[in-house]
Amino acid sequence: MPSKNNKLIISAAGSGKTTYLVREALKVSHGNVLITTYTEANEQEIKKKFYDINGSIPINITIQTWFSFLLQHGVRPYQGTIFDGHIKGMLLVNGASGINYVNKQGISVPFTEEKDFQKHYFSKSDKLYSDKLAKFVVKCNTQSKGKVVDRLERIYNYVFVDEVQDLAGNDLEFLKLLFKSKINTTLVGDPRQVTYLTHNEKKYHNYKDGNIKQFILDKCAKECTIDETTLGRSHRNNAEICSFSSKLYPLLEPSIPCDCIECRSSSSTHNGVFLVSSGDIDAYRVKYNPVVLRHQLAIEPEWNYGNCKGLGFDRVLIYPTETISKYLCDGRLSKEVKDKSGNIKHKNAFDIAKFYVALTRARYSVAIVCNNFSQEYIDGLIKWSSKGD
Amino acid sequence: MYISKVIIKNFKSFREPFCLNLNKGLNIIVGNNGTGKSTILEAIHLALSGLSNGRYFKNDLSEYFFNYDSVHEYLDSLDTNKPLPPPEISIEVFIGGNDLPFFEGDDNSTKRSECGICFKIALAEKFRGEYNDYVKDGGIAALPIEFYEVDWTTCARESITPRKIPIKSALIDSSSNRYKNGSDVYISHIIKNHLDEKDRNGLAHAHRRLQAAFIQDTSVVNVNNIINGLAKDEVNNKNIKLTVDLSSKDAWEASFLTSVEDIPFHHIGKGEQSIIKTKLALEHKKSKEANIILLEEPENHLSHSRLNQLIRNIHDKCSDKQILISTHSSFVANKLGLENLIIVENRKSVRLKDLPSTTQDFFEKIPGYDTLRLILCKKAILVEGDCDELLVQRAYMDSNGGRLPIQDQVDVISVGTSFLRFLQIAEKINKPVSVVTDNDGKPDAIQAKYADYLGVNSKPGIKICYDVNVDVGDLKIADKPFNYNTLEPKFLKSNGVENINRILGTKNKTEDQLHEYMKANKTDCALKIFETKEKLTFPQYILDAIEK
Repeated sequence: MPSKNNKLIISAAGSGKTTYLVREALKVSHGNVLITTYTEANEQEIKKKFYDINGSIPINITIQTWFSFLLQHGVRPYQGTIFDGHIKGMLLVNGASGINYVNKQGISVPFTEEKDFQKHYFSKSDKLYSDKLAKFVVKCNTQSKGKVVDRLERIYNYVFVDEVQDLAGNDLEFLKLLFKSKINTTLVGDPRQVTYLTHNEKKYHNYKDGNIKQFILDKCAKECTIDETTLGRSHRNNAEICSFSSKLYPLLEPSIPCDCIECRSSSSTHNGVFLVSSGDIDAYRVKYNPVVLRHQLAIEPEWNYGNCKGLGFDRVLIYPTETISKYLCDGRLSKEVKDKSGNIKHKNAFDIAKFYVALTRARYSVAIVCNNFSQEYIDGLIKWSSKGD
Repeated sequence: MYISKVIIKNFKSFREPFCLNLNKGLNIIVGNNGTGKSTILEAIHLALSGLSNGRYFKNDLSEYFFNYDSVHEYLDSLDTNKPLPPPEISIEVFIGGNDLPFFEGDDNSTKRSECGICFKIALAEKFRGEYNDYVKDGGIAALPIEFYEVDWTTCARESITPRKIPIKSALIDSSSNRYKNGSDVYISHIIKNHLDEKDRNGLAHAHRRLQAAFIQDTSVVNVNNIINGLAKDEVNNKNIKLTVDLSSKDAWEASFLTSVEDIPFHHIGKGEQSIIKTKLALEHKKSKEANIILLEEPENHLSHSRLNQLIRNIHDKCSDKQILISTHSSFVANKLGLENLIIVENRKSVRLKDLPSTTQDFFEKIPGYDTLRLILCKKAILVEGDCDELLVQRAYMDSNGGRLPIQDQVDVISVGTSFLRFLQIAEKINKPVSVVTDNDGKPDAIQAKYADYLGVNSKPGIKICYDVNVDVGDLKIADKPFNYNTLEPKFLKSNGVENINRILGTKNKTEDQLHEYMKANKTDCALKIFETKEKLTFPQYILDAIEK
């Protein structure tokens, strides 16, 4: 086996992340590979990519979701060391789980692990709360004196974690255990595309919202290298889309379009980010046939912003939310809000990650529906009109 | 890959968890009839393959696989106000080594980290509702087996199918009468596993040519004409003729017969059959892939020399495999090495290696015969020599209506001076044992020697019998004082000079003369006493020993 190597690869949207992962996994001829990702949609995407590239999924490669992996190899084998009962599976929760009561100030008080072990981790139907899964696994490993990781080391030689920006809290703690094991761990993710959060935990709160890079720098700099170039170029988006979408993340390196001939051989003449007035939508759709993206309630063949991660289309037409429309005019990414004690805090002015996902689906053109066509808009937007075109 | 341990619970005769540790190579299970030797093999094979008696167990599930007592306790409890949960069968097979991490975890009855699979037959969760209704209705006389399911999991709590079990077993049972005629099944084994496609097709074609020739044979044509003429009168004017069955692709297989030296397989001797069956089974594709070979009582119908041949065969064919043999042949056990012996008795298993190393050495040196006698009998009476053996046997017959002790499965074994070694085994397997020993004039020495089995240390079932009285006298033989404290002088003392003279046919010998005579003609005297029709009186410690 080659010497152990852990890395975090930061990818840009459309940089061919899935293709890269599949190719890397196929290079492994000796040893077993696990590819894990947060969403089932992405799990399917990876499987599909294997069939596209290889015609089949080799026997030494396993693809499963992060939760299913944690349950099978983290919880089940050594759950007996901390818990004597039967675990009936996992319960997916969105908010904090295991809430004891809500106090007068409206703050939820959870069951503590020390006092109410059962209620802290499990639902009434004996299902483990999804947000406590990684915590349980880390505990199993500690209690069994490292047997969880020891067993895993002998099963997988390589672990690839896709969409790593979605992990947080104790997931990160578990990643640290993987870094220290014999397993070669590769993390791939785009910090701009956090659309889910596995945890609402206090642990490693600073590193949520896709700040995995900072986590590695702060906590695991010795065990893990960071690679921002391999997947730094977008094979999908053209220069106009790259530059417009990069405005959403002024602190990160702007993404750049790949300039290989293969990527830039298109004959499209309608390139860039356009504004289309609501009256012109039908004309625009007839002319360019874009895929419609909505914030929510999309019905096939239209997509919700959140569900189309990983997909690519030639042209898209976005129905923005009100807050997104506002941003297109004033260019402000954050807003000031007062919290309960009267302090001023900065919050995102709109769902930046989801808008970023929507923008970066397109290869050639993005059209955004606007109502007030005559208004001033931020740079990078071209007004499209059926008469003027 | 090998099986390191098996834990069987509630399966057939094993009610309480029965744990059996296994060696990497050869393992020989010895035990009496009904101790569960075959059940162990069956359980291992079932857990690894899902097969029982060569058929898919799932379809044959019945309450007879469950421990009889636990089923009845359960059924009886249903009519009380404290109903028991439905019984479950569990067979756990643990695998040695650390190259199967997928099967590692703490989900097993030991609660420790192990690598293995757990086979369970239990009430299916999905039928819980139906089961509850069924029980509520009452009047249940049999286990509601239709609500049960068979399930395999790894120690890591993963559900698996038997196909995924990496360790394969092959069960070879040469004595089985499962098939009408042994030959058909074995010939199809040969055809399916040893011939390639080309050879098989060649055989099928040859068979077809034979059929064609049969149809065209003048006498068959003749017969067909007759049949046709008979049928023609009927309303449906159709041709009827005698032909050969071509209906199924493999029909021809059935018309083959194995013969050994021109004698059909099922007509050759049973012994020959078992050798051939075992050999074929070992050659079977499945056995070749198997990691563990389970061999049931290979000694059936075999003479010692043929058995020897078979054993050598097994040894050579399976040098790299784990083998588990069940036997009650001391020959098998002895030939294959006592170090591999597992004694199964009273639902317990003991290995010779569990004994103190000096005792182990001792038993490895002596022929396995005596060891097995101790293991296989119901009760053992240990004596010092052959003459003591005869006298004890006679004493037993006299107080048990003339039955020989062996007829009651009581074995009188002469062990020389190695009493303690045998006691160590007996203690391990809870075997009732009486020791008959001379006090040689020093009861203190006897008490010291058997200190572990006397007084406060006495063990249930183990009796040390000796005469507490020390007899003395002036007789000297070849200038050495005569030992008045062995069995013969004690016997003379209890029966009197006159009786003994009559029994031995010695005329008017004095007591001292009789002492001398009996010492010089030990075996003769013992035989005469054994065969005499006179009524005998035995010393109390002998009577203690034969007491039930």
